[in-house]
Order: sequence, then C-alpha cells, then structure tokens
Amino acid sequence: MPFEKEIAEHAARKRQALAMGSSRKLEEFAKSGLLNARQRIGYLLDTGSFQEVGAFAVSERPEDRDRSAGDGVVAGYGRIDRRPVAILAYDFTILGASSAPIASLKFQHVRKAAAKHSMPLVILAEAGGARIPDIMGARGTARARSHQVYERRRQTPWVTAILGQSYGSPSWKAAMSDFVAMRKGAVMAVSSARVTSVAISESVDPEELGGWRMRTEVTGEVDRACDTDQDTLDTLRRFLAYLPGHAMAAPPRAAVPLGSGEKMARILEIVPEARSQIYDVRKVIDAIVDTDSFFPVKERFAKVMACGLARIEGRTVGIIASNPMFKGGALDPEACRKAAGFIVLCDSFNVPLIILADTPGFLVGVEGERLALAGHIMNFVHALEMATVPKLAVVMRKSYGQAYINMGGNADEIAAWYTADVSFMDPAVAVNVVHGLRQQDDPARFEELRREFGRDTGAYDLAAGFLAQDVIDPRETRVWLARMLEVHEKRATNGVGEHLMNTWPYHF
Amino acid sequence: MSRVEVRSEIPGIVISIDAAVDDVLAEDDPIITVESMKMYIPIPAPIAGRVTEILMNEGDVVATGQIVAVIET
Repeated sequence: MPFEKEIAEHAARKRQALAMGSSRKLEEFAKSGLLNARQRIGYLLDTGSFQEVGAFAVSERPEDRDRSAGDGVVAGYGRIDRRPVAILAYDFTILGASSAPIASLKFQHVRKAAAKHSMPLVILAEAGGARIPDIMGARGTARARSHQVYERRRQTPWVTAILGQSYGSPSWKAAMSDFVAMRKGAVMAVSSARVTSVAISESVDPEELGGWRMRTEVTGEVDRACDTDQDTLDTLRRFLAYLPGHAMAAPPRAAVPLGSGEKMARILEIVPEARSQIYDVRKVIDAIVDTDSFFPVKERFAKVMACGLARIEGRTVGIIASNPMFKGGALDPEACRKAAGFIVLCDSFNVPLIILADTPGFLVGVEGERLALAGHIMNFVHALEMATVPKLAVVMRKSYGQAYINMGGNADEIAAWYTADVSFMDPAVAVNVVHGLRQQDDPARFEELRREFGRDTGAYDLAAGFLAQDVIDPRETRVWLARMLEVHEKRATNGVGEHLMNTWPYHF
Repeated sequence: MSRVEVRSEIPGIVISIDAAVDDVLAEDDPIITVESMKMYIPIPAPIAGRVTEILMNEGDVVATGQIVAVIET
C-alpha cells in the first residue's frame, strides 16, 4: 500500500490529538455528570457538522508538547439548527485549559472567521486562567496583548456558556458576549479563589466569589443559570434561534404555534383595576406573545425590569416591561442598566423593540443617587433614542415623569390602554409636595386636591394631543403590535437597522 | 438548617404584616407589605422555610436593605 507509513503516523497522531487529557481526568468529568470539551461540542452542534481547526496544535514549550493536545482548546466551525457558527471549547483536561499563546492563535482564527464570514461565535468556557510559566516575565505578560482582541463591533452574535471554573480569559470572553448561560456549580471570576486569597489574605469561597447567584442576581453578568451542561448548551441554542446569524440580516421568522393569542381574552383578569395593586407583568407578556416564546434575559437581575426575546406572529421582538411585582415597578439604576444593555443587543441584531409601561417612576432616594441614578436614566433613554429598529410602546397603567419618556414615550407608535394614566407624578404625591397636605391632615380637602391633580391624565387626554396614536382595549394589544410590526418593517433595508450602538460598552 | 435574613429592597412604610412566626412559607409568599412610591409592595420570602422572627410592626419606616424577618430553611 502506498504511503503506508504516513497513513499509520497520521492515524496515530490524530488519535493522540483527539484523546484530550489523561483518562483519569476524563473519568472525573464523566463521574461528575459533566460533558468534556468534545462532548459539549458534539451535543451543541448539528450531528456531523463539526469541522475542526488546530487539532494538531500544541504548546510552544518543548517540554509540554506531549501533554498539550490542541494547546487546551478545541476550535472549529459547525452548524446549529442548520445555521453556520464558529466555536471554541476550552479543554479543562489539558493543563486546566490555561491560556497560552498557541491556544490564543486558535481563538483569534475562529473569531476572525466568524466576523468575516458572518457567523455567530460560540464559546464553551472552563479554564483556570493564564498558564504559568508561559505568561510569567515581562515578555510573557506584555506579548499576551498580541494574542487578545478586546475590540468588537457586534457584527455577529457572541454567546458564552460558563461550564466550570472560569478565570481570566474565559471571563473576559463572557463579559464581551451578547448572552451568557452558566451551569450551577460553575464559577466565573477574574481570578481563582486561590489566587484571590493569596493576593488579599482573605479566604474566599469560590461560590461567593463568582457562583451563579452572584453572577445572575448581583452583577447580572450572566443571563441565565442552568442545572446541567446539557441545559446550558440548550439555552445557547434557544437564544441563537431568535437572532440572525449576523448584523446584516433580519432575524429568522418562525412558525406561529397553535393557541397563540388565546390568552388575550383573559388579560383583564391579570391587571388589577386599583393602580396601587401589583401584578406580574410576565403574565401579560406571556399572553401577548406567541405561545411559550418569551425567553427572559437576566431574569434574576433587576427584576423590576422584565426584558426578553419573544415572537409575535413568528417575528422576533425584544420586550422591555416594568414589573410592578418587584419594587412596585419603580425603576432603579440596575433596571436602567439592564434595559440599556438589552436595547443595544436588540438594535445590533435588528430586533424590533416593544415597551410595556406601568411604573410609578424612578425610585428616588439616597441609594439610587449613590449609584448614579441620573447617569443610568440618561444611558437608558439615550440607547432608546439611538435605536433604529422599530420601537412600539404600550402604556398599560401609570407612567410618570421622566420614566414615561424612558418607557417608550419616544417610540415610533404609542398605544394607550384605556387604563393609562400619565402625568409628572402620582396626584397624591403632588398634593403633598405642592400643598404640604397629607391625607390624614384633612381627608376631604386632600381628596379634592388629588382629584384636581388627577385631571387630564388619562388615555384619551394623551390621544387628544396625538401623543398616543391610539387608545386600545388591552385585549387588542397582540393584534395592534402584530399589525404595527408589519407596518414598521424596514422594507428598504430588508429589516436591517443602522447599528449606531455597535461599539457601545460590553457592560452597563 | 440555615438562617436566611429577609431584607427590604425598597424604602417605605410597613402597612401590613402578612405572615406570623412559625408560618411555613413557600418561596415568594408575602411576609410584609410596604407602601412606597404610592404602591403596595409585598416583601416575599426569598426561599421556602419557616418564619422564626418578624422584626417590623405596622407603621414602621423601613430602609433599603433593612432586615424585616428571618426564615429558617
């Protein structure tokens, strides 16, 4: 047989390249119910679609060559739901997937291909930080700059799964991503608990340092926590299904599930008549959108602002809704940060925005001021002004003061439910501020003044000045939105917006 | 068994106490209701468990982050 020696050598080398780390480490993964790097890629990508690059790459240090298959990362291209993606999975069984120069070259290769050929970039993260000794010394540290890229123009979506301990480089990639899912039990932090405790003499619990509660509830850097590797990967797949593969295309249109819109008939049972009473706006969203299509982002962070992707008549939309269930719907700095980031995501990938308003205003007070509330309010409203995707707003109940503008007062089309109530502040607060009168001081006079301040604040007052384009029955909301999405479809550009915020910050 | 402190996320006035010591609550069951921004806002159990302490009375002023109750899980 010709080339017998070469064929045998190629097979042997390939076996070694694909074998990953020691069998003991691979068994540990299996015993813990975790997938290893190659299994993760196999699970996420369409069967047989993985085309690898860099399988034969190894560490540049001669002494590590035989134990650094792929230099600790598995990279390549594939398809998810038949759409092309570029992918990088850290292989924790190889030197803890620590970041090193050859691994960085592989990452840059697929990152550039993703941008140039309009594919989403998928990062499956689990890595112990920079590799020592490779990174040590002036040369090791300073040249790491040439292996990293910190600039991104959101040409294609980036999604990251945090599937194990992730320190340094994988945390930077997560921070740069449009969507991050995390397996419960995994950790995302700048440095490991060990490095941290040595540096600051403080014993640190990894879960406290960067566990899922910290990342989803306190900082909002992770969008969703999942129970298993498989759930986490399914979540990435589901997120990507809402978006186009790149910024120069409209999102894919999906089939409309049976039963969509049927809950609209009962929407009046969700929203209480008394405006001081709370309810969960997610039930309203669920009724309006296509059946089971609401996909919340950062659901555990800034709960007062419900944000998420959904579909209406098969069209992807981004929903921003104040939720009276939490903090009475009063918007705080975190709510503004969440909304601003979500608007940037939607606008970058041509997803029309729908804003549902029911808020008593911004949550004033020392706490908000300490967190620079004014700056966050302006970032949020600036993002909304800059967005060139269609913007539709529904004023459900009350919407007061500057919060009225932030919650879609500058939208392309505004519909007011007949329950809408728009003013500078709640009439009862106005009585107190203007007349220095509290209800208990003189109930009859207070009620008289409250009624006075409550005049001209309704849906028809808004519509009379053409400040809302229509007054609708809440049960008509889905139909109104579906119709307006069609009207405002950007036909001249096939649904593609101007992306004026594609270089806005990674984190707000 | 662990002790979970329930804190108010919002400043305001306590207008009702909705649970009692020894009540076994599910996650999100209301413990007290605070009036703030002209809204009646429940402070729910962050986790399922038994109420061991309620530290507020009706009419009390509550600050952001203040502990209002303790739950044992």
